[in-house]
Amino acid sequence: MNNNVILLIHPALGGIATLAALWVFVDTLNASEASLSRIKNISVLCAVLMWLTYIIGGYWYVVHYGPEKAIIKEGPWPFAHGFFMETKEHVFLMLLLLATYLPIAASGSLAKSRAARKVVLWVAGLIVPISLAMEGSGAILSIAVKIGLFFKQAQGG
Amino acid sequence: MENSEMGKYTTSFGLSLAITSLVSALLVILKESSEDGVLALMKSITGHHWVTHGLFNLILYIALGWAFSRVHKGQGVKISANGLVSCIAGAVIISTVLIAGFYLLH
Repeated sequence: MNNNVILLIHPALGGIATLAALWVFVDTLNASEASLSRIKNISVLCAVLMWLTYIIGGYWYVVHYGPEKAIIKEGPWPFAHGFFMETKEHVFLMLLLLATYLPIAASGSLAKSRAARKVVLWVAGLIVPISLAMEGSGAILSIAVKIGLFFKQAQGG
Repeated sequence: MENSEMGKYTTSFGLSLAITSLVSALLVILKESSEDGVLALMKSITGHHWVTHGLFNLILYIALGWAFSRVHKGQGVKISANGLVSCIAGAVIISTVLIAGFYLLH
């Protein structure tokens, strides 16, 4: 698969997973017997999408990131790798656990139990901002590569 | 009792998530501080330290979640909803701060 396509699919799936977590959060606020199966299905969708984001992004990171890493580190924004990529790749592992846990938490009796709803709200509520931070870090990395290439060109490289 | 309302897998895997997050953050600091030791070992296992890290987290998460669900004669760990969300949110926030703080200062 084309590297650029992978780079589009990775954040796109992550973005949809974030929307799924937001959906679970909002739906759980007013959970009823009628909405239980929908909440469970969307929480499973969130987990599946997050795993696909991880596998596709992970493949790109392990196989194709090397040359871009070199461009970033030699360019004017080396912190994009040193801080944003390093933090992103490791915080994402936690995000993956949160997304994996969401369907487990959502399997409780949300309509009847305030305690079960509280757990789902917190987990979905943690997934959304962390996912957005991941998306933002990815954007900074893309810009760092672009700036690095301009810098290299300006240096006559 | 709030615990019974949540289900044993919610409490067990929730606690497992909290512990795995903290262990994962500490592993980040450990491997980056020991490039010739821990990092090299993790690279040698799967070919990439990050892949090994992900596998380690997944195995720890499943193992702890399963183990916690077996305690109290198979009824799972007893914890209130407030206790559980405090553990999860606290662990995720502390782990994120540990990782981001480490790379900020590294």
